Amino acid sequence: MSAHTKSPDGVFPPPLVQGGHDFGSVTDTICKIVEEPPTAGWFAAFAVASSVLAMLGGCIAWLIWEGTGIWGLNNPVGWGWAIVNFVFWVGIGHAGTLISAILFLFRQRWRTAINRFAEAMTIFAVICALVFPGIHVGRIWAAYWMAPLPNQMAMWPNFRSPLLWDVFAVSTYFTVSLLFWYVGLVPDLATLRDRAKGKIRYYAYGLFALGWRGANRHWQNYERAYLLLAGLATPLVLSVHTIVSFDFAVSVIPGWHTTIFPPYFVAGAIFSGFAMVQTLAVPSRKIFGLEDFITVRHVENMNKVILVTGTMVGYAYAMEFFIAWYSAAPYESFAFINRMFGPFGWAYFIMVSCNVITPQLFWSKRIRTSMTWTFILSIFVNIGMWFERFVITMSLHRDFVPSSWDYYSPTVFDILTFVGSFGLFFTLFLLFLKFLPAVAIAEIKGVMPEADPHWDGYHDAHVAKAEEASHG
Amino acid sequence: MGHHKTFSDDPKVDPALAGKLFKVGIGVGVVGLLATAATLAMGEEGRHQFFFSWLTAFSFFTTIALGALFFTILHHLVRATWSAGWRRTAENIAANLPLMAVLFIPILVGMHDIYHWTHEEVVATDEIIKWKAPYLNTGFFVIRAVVFFGAWIAMALFFRRNSIKQDESGDVALTFRMRWWAPVCTLIFVMTMTFAHFDWLMSLDPHWFSTIFGVVIFAGAMMSCYATLSLIGLWYTKNGILQNTITQGNLHDAAKMMFGFTVFWAYVSFSQYYLIWYGNIPEETAWYALRLDHGWQWVGIAVLFGHFMIPFWFLMSRHMKRSRTALAIGAGWMLLMHFVDLYYMIMPTLHHGFHPHWADLTALIGMGGLFVAFFGRRLASDAVVAYRDPQLVASMEYDNV
Repeated sequence: MSAHTKSPDGVFPPPLVQGGHDFGSVTDTICKIVEEPPTAGWFAAFAVASSVLAMLGGCIAWLIWEGTGIWGLNNPVGWGWAIVNFVFWVGIGHAGTLISAILFLFRQRWRTAINRFAEAMTIFAVICALVFPGIHVGRIWAAYWMAPLPNQMAMWPNFRSPLLWDVFAVSTYFTVSLLFWYVGLVPDLATLRDRAKGKIRYYAYGLFALGWRGANRHWQNYERAYLLLAGLATPLVLSVHTIVSFDFAVSVIPGWHTTIFPPYFVAGAIFSGFAMVQTLAVPSRKIFGLEDFITVRHVENMNKVILVTGTMVGYAYAMEFFIAWYSAAPYESFAFINRMFGPFGWAYFIMVSCNVITPQLFWSKRIRTSMTWTFILSIFVNIGMWFERFVITMSLHRDFVPSSWDYYSPTVFDILTFVGSFGLFFTLFLLFLKFLPAVAIAEIKGVMPEADPHWDGYHDAHVAKAEEASHG
Repeated sequence: MGHHKTFSDDPKVDPALAGKLFKVGIGVGVVGLLATAATLAMGEEGRHQFFFSWLTAFSFFTTIALGALFFTILHHLVRATWSAGWRRTAENIAANLPLMAVLFIPILVGMHDIYHWTHEEVVATDEIIKWKAPYLNTGFFVIRAVVFFGAWIAMALFFRRNSIKQDESGDVALTFRMRWWAPVCTLIFVMTMTFAHFDWLMSLDPHWFSTIFGVVIFAGAMMSCYATLSLIGLWYTKNGILQNTITQGNLHDAAKMMFGFTVFWAYVSFSQYYLIWYGNIPEETAWYALRLDHGWQWVGIAVLFGHFMIPFWFLMSRHMKRSRTALAIGAGWMLLMHFVDLYYMIMPTLHHGFHPHWADLTALIGMGGLFVAFFGRRLASDAVVAYRDPQLVASMEYDNV
């Protein structure tokens, strides 16, 4: 908006696209990543990621062959790393939709540079998440029983169980996220089609571009679909992790049953999702030369979101603690004291340090605009949020009967399965970087000054032309 | 460059209009509160009724003022542009917090009638309340209330004063200064708001607890703040105030936020209800058991449908948000529902069966009179819009097309 230019510095944020780009150079810069042959670095990363993915396959095969006995589950702790990993990955999957839907509705135009790959990350994270409930059931060949399928045995899943609602919530979320991502991709796929050199490339992108020609009517339908999907995706950002929190909170286990769980889980999910976006964005923008689009301001804004949501999580911890005392319920108080000073106290302190304490460094502008600090702190948040779910799950280890208390230790298969899920995630992410535009080309152009029909540049060019004509 | 707007309204309100608002407000306030006080002459029962009616009305207006305070903080925190035209109005509402501090005094006087945990014989015999005595005791309660009001009044005055300074100087540094303080104020606001309502409302049933309670109150406060702003915006423009500054787009945006917080309120209220219902532990369900019996269940259903189910469809409509009449109805209705919601939280402590009393109404009208009167005084004293806010023109240019 040109009114912005008249205001003093700092009132309105700086332009979203830096580096003096025009529309052509935006397309070139972003398409180049896809069009140039993969570098040796990409191949090396892909080799590592796909090997780790193969290891995940091995772990799952052994699990199915041998059963969940290969994991560290024991009697009080009937839920181990599988649920921790599931919640961890689903949580990460929240940033994409928040960026693409909620920030869209809030007219946060800075979202355009990061939404594409945040959405991709969301989809891959949800795929990783879905692995765990899928494999943990034991009789994997009966996994389809999770869905309410009519059958001659008249067997149905328990509709009162939040685990079933998870099936609905996560699959709805996955479907809508995928649609949203794909709708946003269509104009860019057409761009790649039009630039394609080879026949295969031309037809492959052409098939998925759905005949997009950039006609006025196409854009009108596109904008409408995008807004509707944003509206549909917005409640999903809240619903998915709300239902994941119900997995714990509908029970009467001390440390699990507390009313703040739904919004607290959602805040934590956004927190971890943004941290993962930073973990990916900070190196990617450097490696692929996207610094003019994913600017320091974008990174800083995301760090602010991390600070806010991390503090919300801190608020929830504080409420849990205060109410554990205030409730005067001895089991509740015990659960929280045990969380802090019991056998898993070390995990609790990792959680609090990484989720509440270290993100406070983002109060400093110097730190939140530093790429090195951002990357390091984002890793801390990833670790902290994994441990948060671990700490919550470990509420089980000291149940109501002290004689059954036990410690929980993961086996090597727990660890390798979790590590393997990163292989799946990074394999998909590397493929995405190579085959699809990592930044939304069409949307980026929409936030450049040239997109405004009243842009000064057009006026100036017009005047210059007129002057030239009159002199000539 | 085309269609640039400039600020062209009179930033001052006709003093006669503001004066009238003050006079009528004081009149209504005095009459309403005196009528409420008549219950004090009606024995112990009347005294209880007085204090509970007072607490309900007090909570209603305090949450609106707190919503407005947070609106101001949020505006600076996220460096919003759209809300620049609303900012002064929110500052003026939040400036009623000193009035609310004065109106809190009767609650301190009536503590023994309102809060069960102030009874020494109860503390002596009830193990749970005895456990909570380090927190729930009269001295600490009063100290906390002083801290809460102190913090809120300091923040409300800070933002309003700097904002008015900008009217004189147009200095952008003041904007940066308010932005600098916004994050710290957010933290202070969230903690004080939560614990204030743990103290004033949750401790009405000293056995009951809910970790989400602060968030439920916050959601209702924000919703009613946007409803109040919408109504004031409609009133302004109807009376020729800020006609070109508070645009249809601005009203639309305020209505969107009202809709958003209506849904958020439903989300957190449902979370609280649902988890307690599903867990079915007696120490938690007691609170709802009381509210789902002896006629209270109908109030609960009224809240469910009136505060969420029906407004969800009504407020979602774009047409509604852009129609002056529909917006006035929607915003007025949501304020009414906010009152009913608070009534449903507070009054079952006094009446174990649904038992409306005329004092509930007179307290509401009386306090409303004073609230409007002091708001009117601020209209007379300073500009009604932060007209030298560097973002104001940009906020006028927004529209939802």
